[in-house]
Amino acid sequence: MSVAIDWLAFLRVFLVALVGALLVVGFYSTGLRLLVRAGRVPVVAPAEFTDAITVISPKQAARAEKAAAKAARKSPLSDAQKMLARIGAYASFTLCGLAVAAGILLIVLH
Amino acid sequence: METAALIVVLVIALALFFDFTNGFHDTANAMATPIATGALKPKVAVGLAAGLNLVGAFLSTEVSQTVSHGLIRESQIDHLAFLPLIFAGLIGAVAWNMLTWLLGLPSSSSHALFGGLIGATLVGFGVAGVDFGVLLSKIILPAVLSPLTAGIIAFVVTRLAYGITRRYDGKPDGRSGFRWGQIFTSSMVALAHGTNDAQKTMGIITLALIMAGWQSQTEAEPHIWVIFACAFTIALGTYLGGWRIIRTLGKGLTDVKPAQGFSAETSTAATILASSALGFALSTTQVASGSVIGSGLGRRGSKVRWGTAGKIAVGWLLTLPAAGLVGALAALIVRWLGPWGILVDAVLALVIIVALFLRSRRDAVTAANAMSDVAESGRAVKVKKNPPPTRRQRAILREQERQKAEEKARRKAEERERERRRLDEQARAKAEKKARAKADAKKSSDEKKKSDAKKKADARAHAGGKKKADDAAKKTVGTPKKKADDAAAGDGKKKASTGKGPR
Repeated sequence: MSVAIDWLAFLRVFLVALVGALLVVGFYSTGLRLLVRAGRVPVVAPAEFTDAITVISPKQAARAEKAAAKAARKSPLSDAQKMLARIGAYASFTLCGLAVAAGILLIVLH
Repeated sequence: METAALIVVLVIALALFFDFTNGFHDTANAMATPIATGALKPKVAVGLAAGLNLVGAFLSTEVSQTVSHGLIRESQIDHLAFLPLIFAGLIGAVAWNMLTWLLGLPSSSSHALFGGLIGATLVGFGVAGVDFGVLLSKIILPAVLSPLTAGIIAFVVTRLAYGITRRYDGKPDGRSGFRWGQIFTSSMVALAHGTNDAQKTMGIITLALIMAGWQSQTEAEPHIWVIFACAFTIALGTYLGGWRIIRTLGKGLTDVKPAQGFSAETSTAATILASSALGFALSTTQVASGSVIGSGLGRRGSKVRWGTAGKIAVGWLLTLPAAGLVGALAALIVRWLGPWGILVDAVLALVIIVALFLRSRRDAVTAANAMSDVAESGRAVKVKKNPPPTRRQRAILREQERQKAEEKARRKAEERERERRRLDEQARAKAEKKARAKADAKKSSDEKKKSDAKKKADARAHAGGKKKADDAAKKTVGTPKKKADDAAAGDGKKKASTGKGPR
């Protein structure tokens, strides 16, 4: 009884998943980085403070917002540069969304 | 034929119940990290997971085809005789799932399902009934490789996410923005879960329909009503499983940061979706656990708690043979007792379902009996609260220290220079003062000498002048000028003596 194993399929899964994850995480992280560069530091407090969450308290969130606003005020970039960074950030988020959509489309069409 | 129809109905009912428990149990896999990091409110997360599980079930049928057209050698077995064995296999899967759930052991619903089915088939038809090539390449190897794949990918993308968003100037890095991203990635995990897990039940029902002759063997796709039934059941299970998560989730995931959760979920979703496309039947629990461990290791200063990781791995490895054993026992009952055996199995299934229902109604929910497989995996990695600096941060710190040392040395040198100058200044001032004093002393002595000399000269001159005047007075008596002078002098003297001179 011979057992044929398609090892290439495993490699394909690994590569496809790796490339997909790299694209999604890479674009999203770049978008965040550019948003911060544009002086719009996102401060997203947890949606709900259950017992499990010890990540950030409302007080810490308020402090973070203050620090973000201060950093934005002190940004050495010109308005044009900030605008460019913001456009880059939104472009990165869009690319991230497109990568996800393309992945789902590939699975549906497969 | 009526018995076959009855068995098919029983198989469908039990398969859908299994589907329901799968959704109920696995909500945590999709929504563990977004709830733990606070990206989503638990109720919203559960609703979203249910909706996307429903959508995911319609996306692909590759996994279903692996179960219905590959794992069991349909040509080697008696179809009608196989129907009760599918039922027995399902009982094995449900029983093992419930046992592990009650004991708090890490397990996988998918592997329990495959284990039960394979165990029952082996009892019924021996090794000829199972295609070991498909079993190895589509179930066992993916089971071993998928957590590894997800872990490696999660490790890489976690590093990437932290690397891109890291700031070296101490200003806010905006990483809490990953919470927005987690809403999408956790949705993707829910979608992937629906794509992979709902299909396993579809495959079992399709297999039962083929065995009963209600579906052509050449027809690979499941019937549309089967897809709908499985999709809605898994969504319902996911939704109803949510309330438990609100209370139990995150006990081991409190340390998951948004960037880490985002990366772990992306890795989980990418691995499951890519595998589903190729028909690999994965355990979403194992993939999600592998991702959580990988992303934990992707953070600086983290290390694996090998004891916990080992326990999880043993639980995973045990699932398939243990569920196979229970499935084989259920199949043995059918073989020994014939149709009565099916009844006994049905009663056993009912007892298990009622026990499960009663158990779920009980209030005592602890980490031991709830769905904490992914949370348990979170405990397998120990992350330092203050991670060591990166290479660049170390370089920056070294540079700062060097600058500080240079500044210190410069200040010290300046201080020394100032002190030297001050001392020089003091010495010069002292010397100047001394010189000035000396000069003053010399000057005063010179002046004294001069004045003494002058006095002496004056005295001499005075003495000499008087003598000359006397001599001159003697001479003027003989000359008219001298007479006039003498007369003036004589008048003056006279006036002064009479007091009648001008006033």
